[in-house]
Amino acid sequence: MTMQNAAGGPALSNENFVRRFVRAAEIDTRMIGMLVALLVIWVGFDVISGFLRPGGSGVFGGSFLTSRNLWILLVQTSTIAVMTTGMVLVIVLRQIDLSVGSMLSVVAVATGVLQVFYLGPLLGVGHPAIWIIAVVFAIALGAAIGLFNGALIAYGQIPSFIVTLGGLIAYSGGAFLIASGVTVAPMDKTFKLIGGNGPLASIGPNWSWALGAAGCVVIILAIIAGRRQRIRFKFAPKPIWAEILSAVVGCAAVLGTTAVVNSYLWPAKVAERFALENNIPIPPGVEDRAGLAICMAGDKVVTCAEGLSFQTGYPIPVLITLAVGILMTFLARRTRFGRYVFATGGNPEAAELAGVNTKRLTVMVFTLMGALVGVSAVIASARLDAATTALGTLNELYVIAAAVIGGTSLAGGVGTIYGAIVGALLMQSLQSGMALLNVDSAYTNIVVGIVLVLAVFVDQAYRRRVK
Amino acid sequence: MKLKLLTLLAGAVLVSVAPTAVLAAGKTIAVSWKTFQEERWKTDEAAIKAVVEAAGDTYLSTDAQGSAQKQAADIESLISQKPDVILVVAFDSDAILPSIQKINDAGIKSIAYDVQFEDPNALYITFDNVGVGRIMAQEMLKVKPEGRYAFIKGDKGDPNATFLFQGMMEVLKADIDGGKIQNVCETFTDGWKPDNAQKNMEQCLTSTNNGVDAVLSENDGMASGVVAALDAQGLAGTVPVTGQDGDLAAINRVALGTQLVSVWKNSVDLGTVAAKAALALADGVDPTTIEGVSKFNGGKNGVEMNAILLAPTPITKDNIQVAIDAGHITKEAACAGVAAGSVAACN
Repeated sequence: MTMQNAAGGPALSNENFVRRFVRAAEIDTRMIGMLVALLVIWVGFDVISGFLRPGGSGVFGGSFLTSRNLWILLVQTSTIAVMTTGMVLVIVLRQIDLSVGSMLSVVAVATGVLQVFYLGPLLGVGHPAIWIIAVVFAIALGAAIGLFNGALIAYGQIPSFIVTLGGLIAYSGGAFLIASGVTVAPMDKTFKLIGGNGPLASIGPNWSWALGAAGCVVIILAIIAGRRQRIRFKFAPKPIWAEILSAVVGCAAVLGTTAVVNSYLWPAKVAERFALENNIPIPPGVEDRAGLAICMAGDKVVTCAEGLSFQTGYPIPVLITLAVGILMTFLARRTRFGRYVFATGGNPEAAELAGVNTKRLTVMVFTLMGALVGVSAVIASARLDAATTALGTLNELYVIAAAVIGGTSLAGGVGTIYGAIVGALLMQSLQSGMALLNVDSAYTNIVVGIVLVLAVFVDQAYRRRVK
Repeated sequence: MKLKLLTLLAGAVLVSVAPTAVLAAGKTIAVSWKTFQEERWKTDEAAIKAVVEAAGDTYLSTDAQGSAQKQAADIESLISQKPDVILVVAFDSDAILPSIQKINDAGIKSIAYDVQFEDPNALYITFDNVGVGRIMAQEMLKVKPEGRYAFIKGDKGDPNATFLFQGMMEVLKADIDGGKIQNVCETFTDGWKPDNAQKNMEQCLTSTNNGVDAVLSENDGMASGVVAALDAQGLAGTVPVTGQDGDLAAINRVALGTQLVSVWKNSVDLGTVAAKAALALADGVDPTTIEGVSKFNGGKNGVEMNAILLAPTPITKDNIQVAIDAGHITKEAACAGVAAGSVAACN
C-alpha cells in the first residue's frame, strides 16, 4: 500500500531506497498500511471533534486523541479482539464460526446466573472464590460448546457454516431460556474488575511501568535470540541497524502506550470517593468568586479532585487481550498445532496425506474458539455489570470482519493474530469515533461495511502485486 | 360444592365492581397469543384467565409461536369454537387483517391486545407509549429542572423509540427552546442493546468532558449500560437516569439510587382491564360506554378506533412497594445491597 509506482523487475539493484529499506528490515508492509489507516482515522476524528466541540484536550484540539478516550477505546475493543484471535485460526483452517455471538450470550447468562443465583447465596455475596469459579466455569462452558460444534463439523461431516448457523439461532434461544429473558445483575465485585469499567479496574501506574519495562526487555531478548537462531541455522541475519530499529520502535510503542494509559487520571468523583474511603487528605478547597469550591496545586487553580491525581494504568481486559494475543501468536507460529492448522488450511488433502489428523485438529480449533468466547463473555458481562441475552448479538459479524480486515484470507491458510487484533481496533475506532461525533448509528454501519469491503479489496490488489 | 359457590360469589362481587359489566355466566373469551417466548405474556394470560374464570366464564387460548401463518390458522380454529370475544395479540399487525375480517364476518367481537391492528370494529387496549416518554421527562424535570440532558434512544428501526422521544419532547420542548435545558448528546442504540448504550454513553461523556446532568434512556436494559458508563466516571447516583419496563435489575438500581425511575407497564393491569372489557363486549355493551374508552387514530394508516390507553406506573424510590405488592419483584431482589434506612420499602 505504501508502494511507490515502481513497475521495476525483481532485480534487487533496480529497487529504490524505500523498497530496499523495507526488504532489509523485513517490515510487514501490510501491517504498516493498517497502522497508517488507523493513524489517519484517529487524527481525523480528533480534528473533526475539535472542530465540532472546541476546547478538547486532544492532540489536535478534539476529544479523540485524549488519554481518556484511547483508554476507553482499548477496553471497548477487548471483547471482539479476544474472540478474533480464535477466529483467525478457524478461518485459516477454511472453516467459519457464525455462532460466537450467541455462544457469548449463553456463556454470559449462564455465568451470571451461576454467580448471582447460586454462588452468591451459597458462599455469601462477595466471597473471594466466586470470581474464580465463575471464570473457570465460563471458559469451560465455552470450550464445551466449541467442542460440540467441532465434533459435529469434523466427525458429523456437516459444513461448519451450517453447524454454526444452527448454533447462532439455537444458542440464543438457550440463552433466553436459562434466565427466562431476565437481566442478571449485579456481578461479583472482583469479577467486575475483569471488565475494565472504570479506573479501579486497572493495575495502576507502577505495575504498568514495570510491565512496560518488562515488555521492552522481552522484545530486545527476542530480537537477540532470533538473530542467534538465524546465524546458527546459517540464515542471512538482518542488518544490525534493522535489528536496532526494530528494538527501538518496539520499545517506543510499548512504553508510549504505557505512558498514555498512565496519563489517564482518575475521574474527579472516583478519586474523591477513594480518598474519603481510604482517609487520604483531600487538598483544602477555597471558594472562588462564583462560590464554587476550587483547589490550588501550588499556585495553579485546579478542580479539587485534580489535586488528588491518581494515574490509571493498563485496564485489566486489555492485559487479558494482550496475553491472549501473545499466547495465540505463540500457538500459531511456534507449535506443531499451529503449523498443522496453517498447513491444513493451505492444502487440506496434502496435510491429511502427510499424516495430519485433520478431524482432531478441527475439533481442537473449535474448542479453542469456544474457550476464547468464554473469556470474552467474562469481559463483556463484567464490563456491563450485568448479563443479558442481548450481549453478544451480532458479535460474530464483527469478529469475522476484524479477522478479515486484519488480513485473514477466507480461502484459508493465511492470517495473523496481531493483524486481526489491529483489525478489531480499527473497527472499534470507527464506531467510537462516530459515536463521539454524535453521528447516527445508521451512518456508522454504512461506513464500517464499506471499510470491510475496501480492506479486502486493497488487500487482494496488494497480494496480486506482490506475486 | 361449597367452594364452587364461593368462587361464583367472589366472581359476582368482582364483576359487579366493574360499572358496565352485567352478570351473565356462560360466555367464552378467546385469546390468540403471538408467542410465549417472552416471559411477560404468561403474566398477561394469568390476569385475563383470573378475571374470566372468576366470572364463571370460559377461557380459550392459542399460541402462534411467533408465526403470522400459524396465527391465521389459530384464529380460524378459535372462530369455529364460537367464542363471544377474541382478543388478538397480533404477531404482524398487517398480515392479521384478513383474519380480523373473518372474526367480524362471524359476528364475533375483537380486541387488539397490546399490539395495534387497524380495524375500526376492534377495541384497542394498550399502554400509552407516548405517555411513557412524557412520564420519563416529567420525573426527570422534578429533579433536574435545568441542565445538560443526554438522550439514549432505542433502535432506529422501532417506531416506539420515536414515540418515546416525541413524548419526552412534548414535555421538554419549552425548556429546551428557553435555554434551560441543553440537548448535549442524542443517539439511537442499535437493537436496544445495553452494551451499545454503554459505549454511546462513554463517548457522550468523553465528548462533553463529563458535562452531563441527566440521562433520558428509553428503557431499563439500556439504562444498565448507561449506569455502568457513569459508574466508570464515578457519576452513578449523582446523574439521574430514566428507564422503562420494570426490569428486576432496574428496580434494584432505583432502590440503590443509581437510576431515577423505571416506568412500569403492569401486565396484570392490562390483562385485567382487557378481560373486563371483553366480558362487557360479550354482554353486548356499546364499546364507547366502557370506562376509559376514547378515540385513537395514531396508527400507521390513521384508522380511527375505540381504544383504552392505560397510564403506566413510574417506579421511583418512593413507591417501590407497589411493585413488591403486585408480586412483580420480591423484596430481597428489589432491596439487594441497599443501605438500611435509605429506602422506605426496604426497611
